[in-house]
Order: sequence, then structure tokens, then C-alpha cells
Amino acid sequence: MKNPRAQSLLTAPSFLWMLVLFAWPAAHLFLMAFKPADVNGGVGEGWTLDAWRVFAEQGYWAVIWRTVWITLVTTTLCIAIALPVAWRICRATPKWQPWLMLLVVLPFWTSFLVRVYAWRVLLAASGPMASILKSLGLMSEDAMLLYNLPAVVLVMVYMELPMAVLPIYAAMEKFDPALLDAAHDLGATRWQSFFKIVLPSIKRGIIAAALLVGIPSLGMYVVPEMIGGVDGEMLGSKIGQRLFSDRNLPQAAALASALALLSMPAVLMAVRKKDEG
Amino acid sequence: MKRLSLLLALALPLFGKDELHLYTWADYIKPELVEKFESEHNCKVVIDTFDSNETMYAKIRAGAAGYDVIVPSSYLVRLLTAQDLVMPLDHAKLPNLKNIDPEVLAKVYDKEMKHAVPYAMSYTVLAYRKDKVKDPIASWAIFDQATYHKKTSLLNDMRETLGAALKFLGHSVNTRDEAQLAAARDVVIGWKKHIAKFDNEQYKSAIDSGEFVLVQGYSGDLFQVVSENDKVGILLPKEGLVVSCDELLIPKGAPQPDLAHKWINFVLDPEVAAENMEWMGFLCPNKPGIAKAPAEFLENPAVNIPADIIAKSEAIEDLGEDLAKYTKVWDEVKAAK
Amino acid sequence: MKDECRKMKTKLPHFSSLCFIAVITFLYAPLLVLMGNSFNKSKYGGTWEGFTWQWYERLWKDDATIEALLHSLEIGACATLGATILGTLAAWCLHRYSSPLQRVHLLLTEVPLAVPDIWLGVAMQLFFVSVGWQLGFGTVIAAHITFCLCYVTAVMLGRLQSFDFQIIDAARDLGATNWQVAWRIVLPVLLPGIVASALLAFILSLDDFVITFFVSGPGASTLPSRVFAMAKTSRNLPVINALSTILTLGTFAIAILGHRLMKKA
Repeated sequence: MKNPRAQSLLTAPSFLWMLVLFAWPAAHLFLMAFKPADVNGGVGEGWTLDAWRVFAEQGYWAVIWRTVWITLVTTTLCIAIALPVAWRICRATPKWQPWLMLLVVLPFWTSFLVRVYAWRVLLAASGPMASILKSLGLMSEDAMLLYNLPAVVLVMVYMELPMAVLPIYAAMEKFDPALLDAAHDLGATRWQSFFKIVLPSIKRGIIAAALLVGIPSLGMYVVPEMIGGVDGEMLGSKIGQRLFSDRNLPQAAALASALALLSMPAVLMAVRKKDEG
Repeated sequence: MKRLSLLLALALPLFGKDELHLYTWADYIKPELVEKFESEHNCKVVIDTFDSNETMYAKIRAGAAGYDVIVPSSYLVRLLTAQDLVMPLDHAKLPNLKNIDPEVLAKVYDKEMKHAVPYAMSYTVLAYRKDKVKDPIASWAIFDQATYHKKTSLLNDMRETLGAALKFLGHSVNTRDEAQLAAARDVVIGWKKHIAKFDNEQYKSAIDSGEFVLVQGYSGDLFQVVSENDKVGILLPKEGLVVSCDELLIPKGAPQPDLAHKWINFVLDPEVAAENMEWMGFLCPNKPGIAKAPAEFLENPAVNIPADIIAKSEAIEDLGEDLAKYTKVWDEVKAAK
Repeated sequence: MKDECRKMKTKLPHFSSLCFIAVITFLYAPLLVLMGNSFNKSKYGGTWEGFTWQWYERLWKDDATIEALLHSLEIGACATLGATILGTLAAWCLHRYSSPLQRVHLLLTEVPLAVPDIWLGVAMQLFFVSVGWQLGFGTVIAAHITFCLCYVTAVMLGRLQSFDFQIIDAARDLGATNWQVAWRIVLPVLLPGIVASALLAFILSLDDFVITFFVSGPGASTLPSRVFAMAKTSRNLPVINALSTILTLGTFAIAILGHRLMKKA
């Protein structure tokens, strides 16, 4: 019944497209990292491990560590905030749920740049946030809300939050509230039931949320550039610098590949779990 | 009506007039002059902008064809001509070349203008808020002071910022000496403790709004801020400035080389240059043009740089392989706490 | 015991409701401030200095922005077309068949969703350059189709979960050819999902900045690139607010439309 020729024919368009426009560029980028840098900004002949030697330098590990750290904080905050939000949506009547979900996700569909820019306006020294805080006496005249790490984390959480709510809500929707009632009847406190019953059953959703937030965070470039200060350099900015001002293509490729490699195991794990589940 | 015809024109590309594609810095040509050229030559001018020479260079090297005129900083001219990415200029089509200031020509790489014509001079200067900074010292050392903690910025450009430190120490901005570079690195790391961020674009609005009280920036950009906001002043460090000359070139494979030549000749016209200078805030090395420029413009502190400081100012040159030395030092600056 | 349980149950919703309201405020505040500032006479938005349309007027007169808008729409339309067709086909195959081929197919359509934008942008730019494909309109459309395709596939896969394949068998039994089955049965049923994912693809293409930044060439500026370029000059700073407001409201309208269509399905 299932015609093998039909399968090949139907699969071909998207398969070939992604092969040519994704798999090949990916492999190409990876291979670039093994070529010597040409002083004029291209790549020379032959193969070398020069580009990868940068990882031996101390400075890089500081940047990588900072990137990972910021990502972990952002991811944790996003999940922590997403949990009660998703819970509230689940408790609404089914008629309202899709609309509440849309309300949460809508800002995410606006242009990335617009959202970062909106925060710059909001947090600027002459902006509304600063004016309010100063008039309330909570902020001194010279203090700055921008150009520091907390601001970067704040804006990153803002950017990624809807992506955490989506999978957690999807998992929570399947959760049976009768289990909670049973737990109450047996004497469990609110927090006990939450941690021991709800969380484990939406584990898959939390993992998905962690990936959907964590991976873009690792590669974040625009936010640390526009919102961050001197202590906020992340891996994305370094890649941009290598590419644009240092004319070192192989190093940019090496760093980008390192970035991809950081995210890859987690992704493959999730894909496999989906197959099994 | 113009809006409507523009929309229609874009929807029907088949009836297009000739198009001239410029790849240049933002705000680098007065819009009215563009319109004048468009009507004089019955064509359409499309302007794409870049924010760093390296971005532009990467795109041109990558083969982004379709640009007719590019306007990089002069240190890229050697690189572009060596890589055979630009076409030679036909001087017969450029009668206005005679207007270029020979003193400036003596300092650029392509002295005979075989491929490149100097367009505008840009100095990297300091700007400060007169209401917040009292008695500013006219020296790069001003960044050592902790007084303006987290209310200042330096350029996020390794050549400019390391260059400022090198000038402060009395060295050349094109030095290849690693010891000098290490000293410059330490100076910038010291400065880094007090600045809010390294920044290339936001400093203009930041100094205008008072968010920052002291910034390192490009003279043309700051010229505009100074003329609109009298609370902002220009500071010229006595150790000398970094100078840059941006030049006009025609990339190989430009679709409209003829029109490109016409454009270059157009901007070199003294009246056009004078009008353009006043709008841009940058000085064009065009002798008759300067003569026609209004006194008000020429006396603006962002334009009128005293001769003794110009004497100490240096242009950025291409470093070839030694660029890696600067990259290493800059990375160390960025990584330092 | 029962009363305590009821009290416990009611405590939980209140906490989560508060969280929900706080989060919604957090999500919309910056956008509302931005929109408000687009009508603010003040250049920096610190204080309200009076209502004005001037920034919108300047926007309307800005040729480069109008051009960028048209480019964005053209690119969006082409990318949506390509991504929807390819993505729907992909989802169909992934759902219908299972084989080693499909497992690779799944990876190809899921992994791009998991890599950072900057990685995709760099990889694609280098690829286009190496094969001699000039950066411009074509490369932007190709890049957009690539990542939009993955989103379309993901959405359609979800839709296909509830597709009843028995209809196809029934139709076949009644003598329908493959083409008839495809056009008259499968497509109409999937249509709301297809339209919704098409709208999603359109929004993604319209709003993309990072990837477009890397793969665009002369004359292929898009709206987000225009916002970025405008942010560099302080001459017209509040015009960005006006542009962003229009972009945001447009996105909202399209998203709500898509949502209603999804609901119908």
C-alpha cells in the first residue's frame, strides 16, 4: 500500500533543500575552522589546527563560562516564571485557554530588534523607568539601569519567556488535576504536591523549555551588544568580532562550531526522547 | 503623489531607470543632493549603509556585486587594490579631480588617485557635557579619572581605542612593537574600569541626552550633536587624534561604471561639496569647496581642528599580518576585569 | 478536612493569577512604552512632551524605509510560499512514513530550530560565497525558506496527529486516484493548519534580523535592517519608535488572524 517510490518522491523536495541549504553549509562551516587564516580575510590553503588553539587561551574560557552562566540563570528564571503562568492558563476554562496562550506569545512574534530597542528606551537614563525610580527615591541621580549584567539577564528573560511557557503549558495540559486532589486528601501540603507530583509529570515539558530558552541564549549577540556593558561579553559577540573586525574566518568558524557543539548533544537527546515517547 | 509613484515604480521593475548603488556610511550624503543628482542624470540612487569597514570589506570580498561606488576608509584602499577588487578610474571623466587638496593627497596611499578619490576627513575626538563636566583636561588622560564613573564610553573599535592609548603614550597608532602594544593594553584596561561600555553608535544619543557625560566619537557625528545641543562641547586631546580619510572607489564588476564616474565628479563639485560638508559635518578635502563653505561650519569645533593637533594626528594604516597582534591585545582588554 | 482542602485549592489559583498578570504586564510594558513614545514630542522619551504625528510623517517621507517595507513584503511572500509547500510536504512524509530516511529527514528539519541564529547566518553566508551565489534578494529568500520550513514542518506535524487516515482509504475504495485524494480530501482538511503555518512563516520572515544581516546584498534591505540602520544615527531616533509600532501592530494583526484560523480547525 505504501508505495516506496511515492515516499522518495514526496520526501525529496524538503529533504534535498535542507541537505543543500543546511547540512552542507553546516559541514562547510565546520571544515572552515580547520583552515589557516588568510591575512586578507579569507582562508588559505591546507589544513591546520591554529584556529582551535585559541581555546587554550585563558580569556576565551572566561567568555565561554560567562555565556554558559548567563544562559543557566536565564533558563532557570524563565522556567520558574513559566510554571505558575502555564498553571494559570491550564486552570482557565478551555474556551479561554488558547486566547490566554496567544496573549503570552504575541510579544514574541514582534521583531527581535524592536523588543531589544524597546528595553533600551525603557531603561535609558532619561527613560520612563529611571524617571519613576528616581522620583520615588529608589535610585540615585547618577545610577544607570543599563550596561550591566542584570540588565542583560532581564532582557534575555524577556526575549525567551514565551518560549518557555509554550512547552510547559503543553505538558501541563495533559496533567490530571485529580491527582492533586488525591494528594490533598492524603495530607500533602501545597508545595509537596507541586514538587513531588506536578513537576515530575511535566518533566518532558520542562526539558523542552530548557532547550528552547537555553540554545538561543547561548548564541545571543544583539542583547549583550546593545544592553550590556564592559563585563557582558558573550560568545556571540566574540564570533561577530572575529568575523567583522578581526578578519579571522577560521576562528569565527571554530567559535561558532563550539557554540553549535555545546547545543547539539542536548538537542539530539531531546529528539531521541521524542521518538521513544 | 511622489509616494504613490515611488510605490508603483518599485512594483514595476521593468520600467526602471538606471540605478546607481552606493555602499557608504550612514548619513554620509545630503539627501537633497542625492535628489539633485537623480534629476540631473535621470536615474535612481539606492544607498546601502555599513557601520564598519570590515563589514563592508567582508561583503565585497564575498562577492556582493551590484555596488557601483563604495566609500571605505583609506586604510582599506591598499587591500582592495591589491586584491583586484576595484576598477581603475578614468580621469577623463573626472574633471573635478583638480579640486582635491594636494596636501591630503600626499598622505593617502593612492596619491595619484588611480583607484580612489578622497571624499571626507574624519577625526576621532572627545565630546563632553558642559553642564556636568567642569574644567575638562584636554588629554586622553581624562579617562583615567574616576569622577565620571560609568558615565563615559570609548569606541568599540580596536584600532581607534588602542590608537588613543598609543597616542597618549606617545607612540604611533600603527606600531608593530609588541611592548608598546602591551603598554597600551594596560592603559585601556585602566580606562575600562570607569567606562559604561565600548560603543560605536549609541554614544551620540547618549551624550545628547546626558546619559553619558564624556564620549569618544567621530567628529562628523559629534558636529551634528554640537550644533543642535549647546550643552555639548568638543574636546581635542593634546596628544593628537586618529585621523581617517574615507575614499570613493568603484568596485570591479560595477553595473553602472559610467554613472559611478558621474557621481564621483558630482560630489567633487565645489558647490556640492560645500553643501554636503555643512550637512554631514565632515570636512571634504576639496579646496574650492572649503572656500565656499559657510564660516559658521568652518568654525565649528568639530571641524576646525587647530594646526598643532593636526600635526600630531595620525591616520590608521593597514597592518597586514601584524593585525593579529592588535587582535590579541584587544581580546585581552575585553577579557580583563 | 474538606474545608481545608477547598481553601488549599483556592490559594493556588490566586498565586498563579497574580503571576500571570505580573508576567503579562512585564511582557507588554516595553512595547506599550515604545508605542506611546512614537507619539511623544520628546526625542528621548523620558517625559511626555505632547502628542504629535511628526515621527509618522517623517517615516512616510522616508524613501529608504518604504523601499525596505516593500522588500520585506516581497521576500516574505516568496519565503512563505516556498516554506509552506516544502514544509507541508515534509510534515506529511514524516508523519506517514517511518524509515531510516525519515529519521534523517526529521533531523534535517528539527536541528535548524535548535541552533543559534548567528550560527545559521554565518554558515549560510559562507556557503553562498563558496558556491558563487551573489548575496542579494535570492540568497535572503533562500535563507528565509530554510528556517521557515522547519517551523512549518513542526506546526503541521502537530496538526497531522489528529488527521484521520481512514478517509484516504475510504476514498481509495471508492475509486479516487492519488491526485484526487490529495486535492479534494487531504488539502481541504489540512487547509486551516497550512494557512496558519503560512502566516507563522510570514511573520518569522518579516521579523528576521540576524540571518538577513549576514546573507543580504545590495538593494535587499528589509525592515529590521532599516531599524538597525536608523538606530545608528541620532537624527531620527523617534522615527524608529513609529516604525516599530507599525511593525508590531502588523505582526499582532497577522498573528491573531492566524490564531483564529487555527482554532477553526
